Amino acid sequence: MKTGNNNILKRIIGTLAIPGIALVIALLVCSNQGVILFETQGNWILFLRATASVMLTTFALSLNLNSGRFDFSIGSIALVSSVISATICINAGLPTPAMLFISIVAGGVLGLCSGLVYVLIKLPPIIVSLGVALFYEGLAFAITDGYGVSFVANQELTSFTNSPWNYVGVIVVALIVFIFILDYTKFGYEYKALVSGQKVAVNTGINEVKNAVGCYAISGALMGVVGFLSATNSGTVQMALNFGSIGTMFTAFLPMFIGGFIGRFCNEKIGYLLGAMTTALMSLTYARLLVDSSVQQIITAVVLVLFLIYLNNENKVIELVMIKNRLKKK
Amino acid sequence: MGKANIKKYVLNLAPAFGLVALFVAFLVLGTWKDINVAYGLKSILNQSIVVAVVATGAIFIYTLGSFDISLGASTAVSALIGAMVYNRTESIWVMLFVCIGVAVFVGLFNSVLASVFNLPVFVTTIAMLSFLNALVLLLININGTGSEIAIPAPAVVPYNTVEFKMVLLIGFFLLCVFIFSFTKIGRKQKFQGGNPLCAKLSGISEKKMAIIAFVMSGIGVGLGAFLSIIYAPTLTKNTASSVGMDVIIAIVFGGMPVSGGARSKIYAAMIGAFSMTILGQLMVMFNLNSGIGQMVKAVIFLLVVFLATSDQRGKLLPR
Repeated sequence: MKTGNNNILKRIIGTLAIPGIALVIALLVCSNQGVILFETQGNWILFLRATASVMLTTFALSLNLNSGRFDFSIGSIALVSSVISATICINAGLPTPAMLFISIVAGGVLGLCSGLVYVLIKLPPIIVSLGVALFYEGLAFAITDGYGVSFVANQELTSFTNSPWNYVGVIVVALIVFIFILDYTKFGYEYKALVSGQKVAVNTGINEVKNAVGCYAISGALMGVVGFLSATNSGTVQMALNFGSIGTMFTAFLPMFIGGFIGRFCNEKIGYLLGAMTTALMSLTYARLLVDSSVQQIITAVVLVLFLIYLNNENKVIELVMIKNRLKKK
Repeated sequence: MGKANIKKYVLNLAPAFGLVALFVAFLVLGTWKDINVAYGLKSILNQSIVVAVVATGAIFIYTLGSFDISLGASTAVSALIGAMVYNRTESIWVMLFVCIGVAVFVGLFNSVLASVFNLPVFVTTIAMLSFLNALVLLLININGTGSEIAIPAPAVVPYNTVEFKMVLLIGFFLLCVFIFSFTKIGRKQKFQGGNPLCAKLSGISEKKMAIIAFVMSGIGVGLGAFLSIIYAPTLTKNTASSVGMDVIIAIVFGGMPVSGGARSKIYAAMIGAFSMTILGQLMVMFNLNSGIGQMVKAVIFLLVVFLATSDQRGKLLPR
């Protein structure tokens, strides 16, 4: 009984340690500067929007990356889906939920196309994603003649940013759907089998092509939501050529590694959410303290490297601590 | 020579044939559309040379089956520090050595970080990309006018010539060809990339190979930084901003397998860099919308790589 309680306690501590430490550091740093971290509703909105965006991007990236498929095109899918949904909604006078729906469908279709190209031409996914990213960036540019889309004055489409609960809804629904798909469906079981052993899984009769295309479609739909969140926040969709869209992908690496670590103590998807919350906390702290963007980038890069060093040398660190403890006892 | 061998040779040379075809298309179309072909060729050289030099050095990293996404940012940082040093010393040669030194230091830092702490090289370079991009902004803010760092244009005029650039490009290319194809280092690198376990059991040091690869890549990046300054002596946050991704595209377009190993080709970077630039110029000749031009480029890119690797399809989906 005692062991069971200890186990649960260990899991809770393991799950909450990183976001908890990040929160304490953020609060301490802010109070030291005389700033309240969550002072206004705007601060909550900023935090939740960043959490939602980063969490969805992390889901999208990890879905293919865990299978060894590196996808540079996810940012371009967010771009094109937001261009399509915003253009349709502005021209047809459709409301915000319609824009969200169209974004998800457009993202899903774009992801599906990307997946089909991959399984048809059978090139390494990294190469396919480079070509697809170039193609989609060009497509977005061609659709808008390079001007992008602007709907800053459209109060209906920009109203999504008014309430923090909208973002909470996105986070909760996306998390439930993602967990359901990966943990409670045949698709999810087959996905996990393919992740752990491609050849064995294929030899047992799993249709890898179907599963891979499905992964790309889901990843695309998730990026459709990211595109929607970004567009409704700024009221504009700005163009990107020559791989200008790949920056979106880089926001997901730190939360993905944090999520992978937390995933040892709870469901990995919840780990990704907590990883996203951690990076969103960092973003909010930077914003509240008016930290220069270049300094933000440096801090984030250093945190990523330090975290990776720990992850890849965990055994050595534990060994060192044990040796130190033994020496102390002697 | 059997049919299979002929097919293998043809596929192997597909990127080179592609470059020749693009070059001929450029000459024919250029003459037909009555553009100044000589000026066009000079423009192609100026646009390709930085990517060609950086990508040729990067082949050593790709041969190991690794991947460096921070090369563009590294080029920018090296160029900025080189320019700052020039403004202090007024010596173009000191600037060249500083550019190379900084780039080699960044490459070594990457390789040491990856090999000492057992980090995946690609992730290390992602973190480095973020760090170097931030450093570019900081350097410009601290040492420039807030938006740029410039050196006097007359200082670089004698070097901004086709002849000087060709000497640099060919000199570095020959050095790389020599090391890659005629020394033990090149053979070990291919072995290491093709089968790391077997290479390790044969006594090849993984760390040593990684360090050599990053040093060679660093020299390429340093030369690329130097050439960037020569071409445009006013450096901004956009300097070399597209080089990082262009290098990857050039290497793959030139027929280099991303998995590295025995099929790696040192000339792939050069073929790829020039092919992509000529392709871009052809799009301009057709007056295509930039977006449509990029879409056509993407399709041709995938098509060429597909054709060049059509004998490498396995039963399973590649990862």
